[in-house]
Amino acid sequence: MLGKLQDRVLAFIFMFTVLTAVSTLSLSLIREERVDFYASLSILAYYVSYALTRPATGYRHVRVLNIALLALFALIIAYRVYGVLAA
Amino acid sequence: MTQQLLVLGLNMLIIAGLLAAYGLATGYNNLVGVAASLGVLGGVFIAYSRIPRDPAVSSLLNYSKILVEGVTSTIEDLDLLDASLCIVTKGSEVLAVYSKIPCPSRVDPGLGFAGGSPYLAIPLDMPVLELVESSTGELDTIEKALRTIVIEELGMARDVGVSATGNIYRVYVSGLADALKEYVKYPVDPYSIIIASTLARAAMINYLRVIEKTQTLDGVLITLGVGEVAG
Repeated sequence: MLGKLQDRVLAFIFMFTVLTAVSTLSLSLIREERVDFYASLSILAYYVSYALTRPATGYRHVRVLNIALLALFALIIAYRVYGVLAA
Repeated sequence: MTQQLLVLGLNMLIIAGLLAAYGLATGYNNLVGVAASLGVLGGVFIAYSRIPRDPAVSSLLNYSKILVEGVTSTIEDLDLLDASLCIVTKGSEVLAVYSKIPCPSRVDPGLGFAGGSPYLAIPLDMPVLELVESSTGELDTIEKALRTIVIEELGMARDVGVSATGNIYRVYVSGLADALKEYVKYPVDPYSIIIASTLARAAMINYLRVIEKTQTLDGVLITLGVGEVAG
């Protein structure tokens, strides 16, 4: 009971770290050169971990981080879509 | 705030910066990619280090002990054991007022008389209430505020539910923290004070009275009324 939030935050950090390490290592091993690919997979790992553990929803800075990461992800996708359309 | 997580996040950002610089200088783009991943990880760690992680309930237990022991003897002397609790908000000041009249409007911190009855007004200085965003009183916003304070921030309970009928709010708190459970039966109890002050803050209510407090098997049902002003 006491460590309910604490437990969820720790579970989130653990899951996010593992997912990011696995995705980054995999991309590195296949010699992926696109920087935005690394960043977008990390952001995806963040949202997957967040959705599964729901560590904290009421904190303003967490909400700001969520919006900032979503904006960055959208920018990366938009850049890629633009690249495809422009080619 | 978790210092270790903050230091870890900052270290990750520094390493990410160095890796990115090295990658850019040598033309290893995959190294820059690894740095980007590390940067996201470090940024997230820094953001999450700001979530309070100390067991706040143990601090609340100490606060409750001091409050109950100190205030109970005072309200006994003032013959206010059957008095009702009213949360009075005056600007940024929040007062917990114990008085026999429903909700005295002109009160100052400390002891005093209002409407021919003595009152005891305790100033509540709770920085945790800063987390509550004031609203026009939508029920879901109030419930969210109560959840943030009671469950996430203070760890006082497992679940909170709120319903409203006109000017009457009913807050059901279940899964009370073992350490704080015994205080529910006292006239001065942390659940009534924190729930009433959070609700008053979230719904921007200036006068909020605890009408009834009923202990159930696994929790407590608190009935609160708005705007009953006298004195």
